[in-house]
Amino acid sequence: MEEYIVEMRHITKRFPGIIANDDVSIGIRKGEVFALLGENGAGKSTLMSMLFGMYTPDLGEIYVKGEKVEFRSSNDATARNIGMVHQHFKLVDNYTIAENIVLGVEPMTRRLGIFPSVDMKRANREIAQLSKEYGLEVNPTELIQDVQVSVRQRVEILKMLYRKAEIMIFDEPTAVLTPSEIDFLLRIIDGLRKAGKTIILITHKIEEIKQIADRCAILCRGRLVDILDVQTASVQEMANMMVGREVSLTRVKSEPHFGKNVLEVQNLTVLNEHRFPVVKNVSFSIRSGEIFAIAGVSGNGQTQIADAVAGLEVASEGAILLNGKQITHDSIRSRAQAGISYIPEDRQSTGLVLDFALSDNLALRQYPKKPYSDHGILNFGRIRENAVTLIDRYDIRSGQGPKTIVRSMSGGNMQKVIVAREIEEHSDLIIFVQPTRGMDIGAIENIHRYILDERDRGAAILLISLELGEVMDLADTIGVIFSGEMLKIAPAREMTRYEVGRYMMGVKEA
Amino acid sequence: MKEKKKGGLAGLLISDRWSNVTVSVLAVILMLLTSSLILLMMGKNPAVAFRSFLQGCGFWPKANYGGGSGMLSDLFDYLNILSPMMLAALSFIVAFKTGLFNIGISGQMLLSGFLATIMVGYLKDLSPWIAKPLVILIGAAAGGLAGALIGFLKYRFNIHEVVSTIMVNYIISYTTGFFINTRYVDMLTRSSRVCSPASRLTWTKVPVGGISCNIPLGIVIALLAVFVVKFIFDKTVFGFELKAVGTSRKCARYIGVNVQKSIILSMAFSGIFAGLAGVTYYLGYTNTIVPKTLPGMGYDSIAVALLGNSSPVGSIFASIVVTIFQSGANYMSSSIGVAKEIASLITGILLLYAACGEYMKELGRRRIEKAVDREIARMQEARIKEGPDISGRGAFRQAENASAAGRREQEERKDQKEGGEDR
Repeated sequence: MEEYIVEMRHITKRFPGIIANDDVSIGIRKGEVFALLGENGAGKSTLMSMLFGMYTPDLGEIYVKGEKVEFRSSNDATARNIGMVHQHFKLVDNYTIAENIVLGVEPMTRRLGIFPSVDMKRANREIAQLSKEYGLEVNPTELIQDVQVSVRQRVEILKMLYRKAEIMIFDEPTAVLTPSEIDFLLRIIDGLRKAGKTIILITHKIEEIKQIADRCAILCRGRLVDILDVQTASVQEMANMMVGREVSLTRVKSEPHFGKNVLEVQNLTVLNEHRFPVVKNVSFSIRSGEIFAIAGVSGNGQTQIADAVAGLEVASEGAILLNGKQITHDSIRSRAQAGISYIPEDRQSTGLVLDFALSDNLALRQYPKKPYSDHGILNFGRIRENAVTLIDRYDIRSGQGPKTIVRSMSGGNMQKVIVAREIEEHSDLIIFVQPTRGMDIGAIENIHRYILDERDRGAAILLISLELGEVMDLADTIGVIFSGEMLKIAPAREMTRYEVGRYMMGVKEA
Repeated sequence: MKEKKKGGLAGLLISDRWSNVTVSVLAVILMLLTSSLILLMMGKNPAVAFRSFLQGCGFWPKANYGGGSGMLSDLFDYLNILSPMMLAALSFIVAFKTGLFNIGISGQMLLSGFLATIMVGYLKDLSPWIAKPLVILIGAAAGGLAGALIGFLKYRFNIHEVVSTIMVNYIISYTTGFFINTRYVDMLTRSSRVCSPASRLTWTKVPVGGISCNIPLGIVIALLAVFVVKFIFDKTVFGFELKAVGTSRKCARYIGVNVQKSIILSMAFSGIFAGLAGVTYYLGYTNTIVPKTLPGMGYDSIAVALLGNSSPVGSIFASIVVTIFQSGANYMSSSIGVAKEIASLITGILLLYAACGEYMKELGRRRIEKAVDREIARMQEARIKEGPDISGRGAFRQAENASAAGRREQEERKDQKEGGEDR
């Protein structure tokens, strides 16, 4: 039998009405990067939560360093040198980095030899040293609320290191990061492996596994499909196992047929609430039948461009023209009715009214118009019919059909609701912002098909994505934004991935 | 239907259709039990006490009646105080559905009552056919403007409505108090002078079958208002947009609703009902204004609205229950000798239980989940005994379907399974 540092045998975990893990057995070797691959809801996080002591398995046993363990809480797991970085960070915003790291295991001192108090000086010193040792640059005295997401993640990693973790669990660590931050994180993980740590990586992104992991367990609907050697397995093979059917990883794009200009943005400038320009003098145009993708690192003004076109942000300077007509000062609704559909980045709080029924959410665009309403009175029969049609056409899965409260639906299905509603408007311009963020391969494939279909129908498409791969796959024309400025606009076939990535970092022509 | 029987009370607590009604009814039952305990400790018979509350409101015959009064006159008096309570609750509901918290109902009531009193109530020789509609109109207008002001402050200066309404309440209370004390005071009662009978929203001393009754006009206004509010929120584009603003302001903006306009309109709308509550209270029920005193009803109505699950029709029943205890308190106190403050205590207990609604639902949910869990465990044991066969999967799904709890994970899970079968 092989020597495993962690072994989970025949683990079964039930939640009311669902079986999250069904007889799963995995073994993890010391010093390897072990990936857990699976779609959303496949049971990856549940499995690791049991290893971290947050849940106890209903059936099955866990062995750490050959000893059988029964964790009652995550403190027990910490005592066994297991650490975990959760998908949603667990940090106190108005505490400093050092305070967050030592929270719960504070180094103590006695002031005046009597009063016990936290020795923050020592904490700061220790953390500065620890961060240097592992290449995780942080300033221990900075407040969490003042630092970026990537720094917060480093703090979470330092938290584990400070607690002397040997086995480190990362739950979807790259979901919140930009491409360059992802590279940095993968380098850190590699460094941790070299330092002898054992890493468990929960993810649904196969490319990352290919880059960093040694072995990979694939979960599908709560069951273990297989454990593969990453070196020898192909991406396609892993994708099929994860989804449970054949998936296509490449996008088949027909030749573009460009028509007249649909959207023209001229010298657009947008100010944020501090009157600071976040979009600076940006000009571009999109023709019908064209996918114009804006690539860029998160927070460089791309969402503000989308909001300004849709009317949610005010254009402080410049002009926006739809089909040759000025819409710069039109209201949000009149722009929508003039032919703009918008799939927003924030699905849950912007794109949907979570506490409304599915049928109402599917009618959020149409309800002010006939036949959905007449003289201010809503026609619920029509709204329901519309919902029945769209649920069928877009394969939207819900518990109780049109009257399902949207909050109870899964993330992928929520996105389908928005996409269905916006596409069915058959608008001249459709804006997609991060349309596939956090979605799994099967769902991404569908969304991409819808985007390409709409382009072939003759819609102009503004695609804003942080996924460089998505931009390269779909775009006809790419604009790269950096710090609010459009650095480069060029046909997609004239740009390589590498070039786009360079512009994203703000490097202009050499 | 079958599931409901199986789930019993727990099933009713979490069923989509009945949950809210069940919670409110349960709150009333628990309130009756708790207050019975308190009354028992005071050495009183709870049944007699509750009967005397009902007697005080004209729902149950008293042992004897004074000259000219009877059960019917008691009932009309009860309806007279019920009407402003219903209107005030509606006022709260309208704002609440738009995501706004109107704490200023008291102030809006007082302002509209005061203005209607001095503008119409003190006019002599006005025909009741002109005076009464005028009072209603002034009440609605004054309340509506006061509400719109709050909405405007929020829109223009981003002042939270809770803060501005509390401040405006004080301004209204002291300003009206100043004018009453200096110009309209009745030296004997230290309150404002009574309004003319023509302007009152109550027909006083109407002989009905030998008893002289005070017939309230307010109850008609209140019932009409309930159905207006229900219609607006259930059927109209306007109500749909207000609800969208109330549940997700961001999404409402995104779909093109003018959020600022909605906020002002909703507050104005809420103020109109508060104004109507004000005139039915001050020109219907009391007929006079105590200076520098905000009507407690403006705050009680918030609780009534929540007990009625912020639904217009629900608020009718909630008002009826709460008002029985408040209106019947005097008679109860004099007939069995318990301080009438017990009525406030009972109301407080009721609202406490109503506020525990979510907790009750949670208990129901847990019970059902446990039952489902046991079923799944049993089936899995059976599967292990029989060895790994395929039928186990189907059995799990049956167990899942047995669960009425629509948990999200469960939905996802079901989706995936159904998807799996399709393929």
